[in-house]
Amino acid sequence: MSDQKKIGDVILDVKNISLRFGGVNALTDISFNVKEHEVRAIIGPNGAGKSSMLNCINGVYTPQEGSITFKGKSFSHMSSRQVAEMGIGRTFQNLALFKGMSVIDNIMTGRNLHIKSNLLLQALRIGPAQREEEKHREFVEHIIDFLEIQAFRKTPVGTLPYGLQKRVDLGRALAMEPQMLLLDEPMAGMNMEEKQDMSRFILDVNDEFGTTIVLIEHDMSVVMDISDRVVVLDYGKKIGDGTPEEVRNNEDVISAYLGTSH
Amino acid sequence: MAFFLETLIGGLMAGMLYSLVALGFVLIYKASGVFNFAQGAMVLFAALAMARFSEWIPGWLGIDNKILGNVIAFGLAAVLMFVFAWLVERLVLRHLVNQEGVTLLMATLGIAYFLDGLGQTIFGSAIYPIDVGMPKEPVFLFDGVFPGGILVNLEDVYAAGVAALLVVVLSLFFQKTSTGRALRAVADDHQAAQSIGIPLNRIWVIVWFVAGLTALVAGIIWGSKLGVQFSLTTLALRALPVIILGGLTSVPGAIIGGLIIGVGEKLSEVYLGPYVGGGIEIWFAYMLALVFLLFRPQGLFGEKIIDRV
Repeated sequence: MSDQKKIGDVILDVKNISLRFGGVNALTDISFNVKEHEVRAIIGPNGAGKSSMLNCINGVYTPQEGSITFKGKSFSHMSSRQVAEMGIGRTFQNLALFKGMSVIDNIMTGRNLHIKSNLLLQALRIGPAQREEEKHREFVEHIIDFLEIQAFRKTPVGTLPYGLQKRVDLGRALAMEPQMLLLDEPMAGMNMEEKQDMSRFILDVNDEFGTTIVLIEHDMSVVMDISDRVVVLDYGKKIGDGTPEEVRNNEDVISAYLGTSH
Repeated sequence: MAFFLETLIGGLMAGMLYSLVALGFVLIYKASGVFNFAQGAMVLFAALAMARFSEWIPGWLGIDNKILGNVIAFGLAAVLMFVFAWLVERLVLRHLVNQEGVTLLMATLGIAYFLDGLGQTIFGSAIYPIDVGMPKEPVFLFDGVFPGGILVNLEDVYAAGVAALLVVVLSLFFQKTSTGRALRAVADDHQAAQSIGIPLNRIWVIVWFVAGLTALVAGIIWGSKLGVQFSLTTLALRALPVIILGGLTSVPGAIIGGLIIGVGEKLSEVYLGPYVGGGIEIWFAYMLALVFLLFRPQGLFGEKIIDRV
């Protein structure tokens, strides 16, 4: 399948990123790039700096050194909101959904950046605002169908089982129509069946919407199956980068995961 | 029967005014998950601004027209509440993103004291009248049905109308607009809201401004009844049981909670008071709130509290 998929030019370029918290070096001199339409994974043992890397790209953390370039635009001091406006969406490792709101409303919040009509018209549901709301609602319904959560539309998200909440989280990010999607451990805490479902959704998103995907995972087997290329981090340093096959045979990676005998 | 209805209507009207204050609490809680202790101070501040501006403006601009003067005063007071909202966001909330709720709560307590002092420094600390032309004279309704009719205060009827209008507008705003949705999203999770491009800072300014406007309306109505004075801040305390009853997150809840408490106070005072020596009105609301906290902590209309283990 990956033969037919056309992978484009570099869309995200991360250069020499270093991030420190006080005396702790969370990331040291990390460089890698992500190409358009590819599925790129960042893996590594616990505490390797995967989430820190993602948070740098997402604008939550500002790295002390290095630059991040997205679609030719370089940024180092960006708020999460500005990053969202540039077309980067994300999901969270520890679910960060709007728990009291229904599934529909949660996903609709993802459309916020796209809603243009003015407040008064929206409140009264007249004219263009009505049409716009319908258009967005239709888009959201499409996502709901796609993620197979039709039955839970009106359910408050807080009452749904974990696996479904993860899907809503993904749906909300998709509603932004991001060009690039950052997934923070999308399969953490899932059973085998849920993991397979999620893998399928990720591949479908990539296929159907053409979204570039950067995902973090520590479950090696899943990652190797769905990624085009993989970056491996350990103790904040990059120790491997390449296709799943190359990474699997990389000595450093093997020792990081299995420990060395010397 | 006529006496009962009179008491009932009196209670409803008083309740409507509690509701107005409670609304301000609910707004800020819904949109930022913060219980805003400064709401009472905001009511006083807004009312003081309105009272003094309407007194000063004829002198400043040489306008003789009372209505025009009041309109300009209202506009100025609204602008002042906007500046206040902007400053609160700029100087306080912006620095407390992603902090614990209790941190924000303490911050609002600080804002409350600051605003109390500031308002009285700028506008003075005497009792000021607000006259927006609300009719003071009582009227008799249903003369034909009951002997003597029912005594109703027209001022209260107007106030109730204004409050009802405010509720409708706010409900539409929260339920039907994308900004309303964004407000609810921000209340649940700051970080997630930012990740989908919701401008946290702007949202906070909006919600504090809307709460400020509600405070202004509440302040004007209470002020025109009782005069603008420091005791307006204690109104906030009266609104506490209202929100517990109605649910912290519900706009209609604030209204219905206010009505129940208003009616409950008056009816219990009149019909139960004589048996226990009176004074029920003062503690009735808190008693009711206590019962609700025991049996239905989310209130009548609040979002159900869901806890996963």
